Amino acid sequence: MTRNVGIVGGGHTKWGVREASYKDLIQEAGKATFEDVPDVTPEDIEGLFVGSVQPERFAFQTHVAPMVAELLGVDVDSMIARTELACASGQAALRYAWLAIAAGQIDTALVLGVEKMNLPREYTPEAQTSMANVMDREFDGVNGFNAPPYFAMIAQRHMHEYDTTREQLAQVAAKNKTHAANNAFAHFQKEVSVDDVYDSFELSPPLCLYDCSGVTDGAAGLILMSEEKAREVTDEAAWITGSGQTCLGSNSINNLPSMSAWPQATKAAEQAYEQAGIDDPVAELDVAEVHDCFSISEIVEYEDLGWVEKGEGGKFMEEGRSELDGDIAVNPRGGLLGCGHPLGATGVSQALEVFNQFRGTVEPERQVPDPETGLIHNLSGSASVHSVMTLARGRL
Amino acid sequence: MNENQGDNADDERTERAAPDQRAGVEPITDGGTDRDVVEIPKTIELPRLLDFYELQNAETTEIVEFYDNLRDGQLTTTECRECGELHFPPRIVCPECRSEDLEYVDLPHEGELFAFSTVRAGAPMGMEDEVPFVTGIVDLGDVQLSGRIDDAEYDDLEIGDPVELKIVEIDGPVDHERVFYRFEPQE
Ligand SMILES: [Zn+2]
Repeated sequence: MTRNVGIVGGGHTKWGVREASYKDLIQEAGKATFEDVPDVTPEDIEGLFVGSVQPERFAFQTHVAPMVAELLGVDVDSMIARTELACASGQAALRYAWLAIAAGQIDTALVLGVEKMNLPREYTPEAQTSMANVMDREFDGVNGFNAPPYFAMIAQRHMHEYDTTREQLAQVAAKNKTHAANNAFAHFQKEVSVDDVYDSFELSPPLCLYDCSGVTDGAAGLILMSEEKAREVTDEAAWITGSGQTCLGSNSINNLPSMSAWPQATKAAEQAYEQAGIDDPVAELDVAEVHDCFSISEIVEYEDLGWVEKGEGGKFMEEGRSELDGDIAVNPRGGLLGCGHPLGATGVSQALEVFNQFRGTVEPERQVPDPETGLIHNLSGSASVHSVMTLARGRL
Repeated sequence: MNENQGDNADDERTERAAPDQRAGVEPITDGGTDRDVVEIPKTIELPRLLDFYELQNAETTEIVEFYDNLRDGQLTTTECRECGELHFPPRIVCPECRSEDLEYVDLPHEGELFAFSTVRAGAPMGMEDEVPFVTGIVDLGDVQLSGRIDDAEYDDLEIGDPVELKIVEIDGPVDHERVFYRFEPQE
């Protein structure tokens, strides 16, 4: 027996190369979050969940959840923790807040995702070391397996096995980056064409720089409430209708199920669809924020989230089915490719985007017409874990 | 490597008034002419545990036999005597049946290139000077493992190319012998 849980508000910092500290980002996002729901104050928060991946490496700080509580004036009554699940840490924080409320342990939770990734100096190699360590450091990281070459190999295998084209990858990047051009908080606010993608630096072939998400500083927050409490403070919410997560007991190269398919994503999506009562995701989902850490990722996700047959992901893009006016508007926020990817903040920002799409508060150029149902998806690390959450528009 | 566009600088920061110019504030210090100096190192050496290679000795790992075998010229991994599962990376407890009765078995040194790319920029710490380099996944039959591909350019390689294992010595900040494996195209 679980209770209905809704997102009732949220807020965002500007994302980018910020002249701001880790603590500054937390304060900006917290202020924006509480300002979005004037009838909820820090005193109302019973549970605090902070998504953050490598503050020890990027900001030399640990035990960050109580730091967030202090900075935002939150006295936590019941639950406080940081969640670390690499690139899915924000959705993990959201998932645990949802579970705590659904289980009846608390009524009100604050979820905050934050990452400070740009160090003001020559330390890009240190940041990249941290990224390579999301796989087995001893046997994979040591071979230079950070994100770009790893996802380049996924692209290579997918092109090899399913005839996915380089142009289809570029179409994903151009679509998402062009959405971000109309998003005030996005890191990269420039319209990008397919040719621009080809012309960008070939970072890890077949992937070019514009096929890759950026190294970004940013934070985002959400307030979650039980339905009963939500009715006291707002007349609009995004109900969490389903949440699934899967890891197939594998993380290192030899043990991953595939280099061109993510059966973990299929399982996680099936869990969420079943809880939400979704039988036909393409017909029933209006908007989706999926984990386009690299252009190839979004194509694999079209397939493994169960929207098209395996190998047909490239065509789903090419035929415009993921555009704003397509079957499912995918990444109207601009995705990780356009907004950047401050690791712990991404899942939180995706959920806020779906809520903002429901209540019609995003820039008109990227507003999906009257969405009622949405989905967020994150992969993490070597795509060994997939996390999927479904949302529905709530009018209270 | 990242596509960062700088935000506008906050010019106010540099124009902040000096302490003795702020209205109503008595200067507490002399503004920096007579301060104690705290010396910290200008550079900090990379600690040995932060290079990418494990220490590979019995003091730090229970799979030291894997590294000893590699030092002797053979790539090995563990196989479970209870359930027959072949592991890679090598284990001390079988993840299939929890048995600790594992034995080291030889892996083939020849295999096929399954996937590959190039690291052109944004390399991890300690590898920055080595870019560009090719890295990939090699299919040894029962095991697929990642590995650097030496003596090869990305454009000259194809999926399925035959490659063979080579063992390299690691010359770094520790005194004892460390090794690792890489691959190279077969002659
Ligand atoms: Zn066993």
